[in-house]
Order: sequence, then structure tokens, then C-alpha cells
Amino acid sequence: MAEVEETLKRIQSQKGVQGIIIVNSEGIPIKTTMDNSSTVQYVGLIHQLVMKARSTLRDLDPQNDLTFLRIRSKKNEIMIAPDKDYFLIVIQNPSD
Amino acid sequence: VSQLLHSGQLSMGPLVFQRGCQTRALHSTDAEVQTVSTAVSSTQTEPQDHVTEQLLQHEEPEPPGLRDFLRQVEDRVIKELVKNARSHAFDGYQVNWEDQSQLVSCRHRLQHPSAQERSLHVTSVSWSCTGSVIACAYGRIDEGDWGTEKSHVCTWNLDRRGLNPKQPDLVIDVPTTVTALSFHPNQPSLIAGGLYTGEVVVWDTSHTQDPVMAQTGMSADSHREPVYQVDWVPLQKRGEFGVLSASSGGRVLLWTLDPDQGGFVLSAGYALVRQQVPHSSRSNYKARGSSHVGVTALALSPWDSDIFLVGSEGGLLLKCSFSSQTLAAAPSEGQSVTLRAPAVFSFRPRNSPIHSIHCSPFHRNLFLSVGTDGLAHLHSLLQTNPLLSVRVSDSYVFDVRWSPTRPLVFAAATGQGVVQIFDLGRRSLRPAATIDQGGANQAATCLAFNSQNPHLLAVGKTDGTVNIWHLSADLTEQSPRETVQLELMAREVAE
Repeated sequence: MAEVEETLKRIQSQKGVQGIIIVNSEGIPIKTTMDNSSTVQYVGLIHQLVMKARSTLRDLDPQNDLTFLRIRSKKNEIMIAPDKDYFLIVIQNPSD
Repeated sequence: VSQLLHSGQLSMGPLVFQRGCQTRALHSTDAEVQTVSTAVSSTQTEPQDHVTEQLLQHEEPEPPGLRDFLRQVEDRVIKELVKNARSHAFDGYQVNWEDQSQLVSCRHRLQHPSAQERSLHVTSVSWSCTGSVIACAYGRIDEGDWGTEKSHVCTWNLDRRGLNPKQPDLVIDVPTTVTALSFHPNQPSLIAGGLYTGEVVVWDTSHTQDPVMAQTGMSADSHREPVYQVDWVPLQKRGEFGVLSASSGGRVLLWTLDPDQGGFVLSAGYALVRQQVPHSSRSNYKARGSSHVGVTALALSPWDSDIFLVGSEGGLLLKCSFSSQTLAAAPSEGQSVTLRAPAVFSFRPRNSPIHSIHCSPFHRNLFLSVGTDGLAHLHSLLQTNPLLSVRVSDSYVFDVRWSPTRPLVFAAATGQGVVQIFDLGRRSLRPAATIDQGGANQAATCLAFNSQNPHLLAVGKTDGTVNIWHLSADLTEQSPRETVQLELMAREVAE
């Protein structure tokens, strides 16, 4: 687990990173740097969004697949790196 | 054995003094120790046992494949994070989701015909916690005798289909002028009011037959002078609220509702007396007139439940604490609780009465105060002098409120009947918007933002009307850097 913790620390130390969540394929957060209620809120909503994004791409072109998702908002940016078993969600405020 | 001798010389012009001192003789002795036997031992930490550490920290074993997953994505994610932090691609890029109407329009003009006939002013407005009901209080407080005139509290539900602006949904008759009004923060049917006679009342609008739920009556505990402000204060027990009332008699009283007797119980009392007002180093405030401090404005801090701010008719602006233990130097009038002196800090006083104070919902140290001098002062709780003074109007300013959605925006109601909306993010200190309904002789006495629907602003005027204004998107939509700008403003040190 130490390696996992260190990786998270490295990501956390990047400029403007506000939170990191690792979600498993069932939509259950397994590691987070934010408080519980925010984590649960983010995970529930983002999981659905990622699934929708992925299915959109695959419907457009069955040979294609989602590699990375970035949602830019007025206040920050949410980056999602998806995978078969896990998602990594990072929330960054680049102007921080 | 040694002796210490000190000598000092002090010379002042032609005179020379010499002083000496000496410590008492010091005693010392020598002793020797010798080890007979020796032993050597050392300690060293062992490398941590990963298994035990894991069992202590996590109940489950590491999820399979997590390490590989992270190894795979880490580089990519970090690259994107770094690129993003450096990127200027989105600088100044803004998207308009809302209808970008630049107009401030009047949605409703609410009147109560009976109050209009008798030329009553609107003294206070309040939105319910659901945001659909607006309540307003009528009365007249300008001329002496009018205070005993019968008045009303009216409510309109703006979301109702059959809304008739000339007919309130509910009219509560009150035997005297209502000087303050406040809806309960959680229960949409309760309204607290302060009366000209010094009484504090809570009405329950769900009981149309007899809406009075609790009343302080004229007891030894109650105020003797008009109550200019009432506020609901969260109590120790979660979910329960008490009513804080402030009057020009210099008293600030905290009442709790007694469900059994259907009345109020005085739970804490504070008296503001001139002599007990802390004097800031630069204030030249001279005490004159009576010794009590007539409270005309009161504000609670949404950040610190111990702090409340008080503004007086003499221009004093004070930071007070609920937990102050100092006894008030006011004569006891047979109250059931001992009165305490709550003032802990004095801001720079003004020369004229302060009509309204409001704490910023976005920054714990900032608040605004307005008064008869026509200026709005932005203060920090930590400094005596205001951070910024904005000229709102040439006449009196009766009320000021921060916007619930934009940290830098506030609205002020003036004696000329005009509501000025300021945006502190703009370079110039001219108002961002001016709401002028016309009728220059009619002062705007009170205003309230609707926190559930932040586009709506209610303004009450002396002509007895309550106007509900719909604000444009640029006055209500927060821009990305506002909280940061507010923070920078708060950190400035006033000259």
C-alpha cells in the first residue's frame, strides 16, 4: 500500500490539486483525499458520466474507446483516467 | 570560593554617581565520582513489518491490480495536471448558460390597500426560508405619535398562481407599529417581529385564527423602547432557535420559546452602557446625553456563533460577544436574568445613526454598515478603521445587504427611494446598477435578497409598496475570481 500512498502523494503535490478519488469498477470509492460526503457525491455522479461518455464513443465508432475525460468548469477542472477495474478522479483548480 | 563584585557608573553632566553591589558569598564544593563497572548496550529500529501495518490501517487487503493501474495512469495524469496548470488556453473564456438579460425588471408591486389609505410605511421585509413567501411590516416611525397607530404584517406567496398584488394572502393586525421582522430560518410559517412598544412577538402563519404564538408582553424583562431589530439565533441544541431583539433602550435580549406556556422566556440579556464601551485608541468619541447606547442595527455573524455586531443611534459600531461575562453597569429593573455588557471591540464611530449592518456570507471577517451619513463602510472585524468607504447617496441610507451569490456585490436602500447596487470588483466606485421606481419623496426603507431564488430582491418603501425586482444575470452570477478578490480586500490594512 505504501506505493499506492506515494503515488497519490505525488499527484496531490501537483499545482492546484484539490482532491483525488480512486473508484473501483462497481462505483465504490476505495481511496480518497476528500471528506466522505463530497467523495460519495462526486463518485455517484461521475461514474454515470464516464459510462455515458464511453458508450457515446463506442457507439460512434466501435473500434474506439475512452482514454481520458476532462470536464472544465467555471471553478475547476475534473480529470478522469478510466480503466477496466478502476477510475482515477483528480480535481484541479489550475489558477490556484 | 569566589566573590562577585559589580560596580556601575552613571554620569549626568557634572554630577557623577557611583554605585556598587555585591552578592552574598557563594558556597561551592567539589566531589568526585568514579565508575566501578561498565556495560554497553544499544538499540535499533527494525524495518516495519508491512503485514502488521496493513492490518492496523486497512481491514481489507490491497485491491488487486490497484498498484498496476496507478503505475499506468500516474505519468499521464501528472503530465496533464502540469500542462493544465501552465495553460493559458482558457484564460478569460466564459460561457453563457443563463439568459443574459441586462435588465433589472420589476416583477411585482405589492400593496395592502388599507395600509395605503392610512399612509403607512413599509418598515421591514423578510423572505421565508422556502423563498416563496414575502412578508412585510407596516408602520410609521417618523413622527412621534404615529408609533401607536395600528398596523399590519402582510404576506404574499409569489409562487401562487392566483397572486393578487393588491391583496395579501395573509394580513395580521397588530395594535402598534411593527419595527422589525424576520422569518424563521427553517420553519416557513413562523415570523418574529419587534414592535414600537418594545414587545417581541412570534406569529405562526399557519394558524389563521390566532396567529400570535408567543409574545413578550409588558413585563420587567421586556424592552421599554422600540425594537429595531429581531433575528433568529441558533441555540446550543441543534435545530432550536431563539429570538434576539435589540432596542433603542440599549438592551439586546435573547428569548427562547416556551412551548408549554406559549410565551417567551428571557434566556440572556445584554445592556450597552456608554461607560462600558471599549474605546479604540483613535476614537475621539465623547459621551453625551444619556448613558445607554440606543441600538438601531444588529447583525449576527454566520461564521462565528459567538459574535454579534451592534450599531447605535449615536454612530457607535461595536463587536459584541454572547459569552461575555462582564456585568452591565445598568440599574437592574427586576429582570429575571442578570444583564451583561457584551461589547468587546469598538470600530471607528460615525457621527450619525447607523441603520443597518450585514456580515458577508462569503468572508468571515467582512461586514458592511450604513447610516444617515450616506456612506457604506466595508469593515474587517479585525480592524478599527473601515477598509473602504463607498458614497451611496447624498441622503440617508436605510438598509444594506450583501448579495447571496456574488461575494463582491451588495445593495443599499436610500432615502431618495433609489436602491444602489455596487460591485466591489469594478475599478470605479460608481454603482453597478440603480433601481429607481420614481417617486423621489418616497424613501426605500428596507430590502431583502431571496436566498432561494437569488435573482429576486424585495424593496420596501415609505409609500407602502413592496417591489419585487428581478436582477440581471451579471448581478447574480458569480465570476471565477470573486472569492479570491474578496479575500485580498479583506487582507488589506486600512490606513
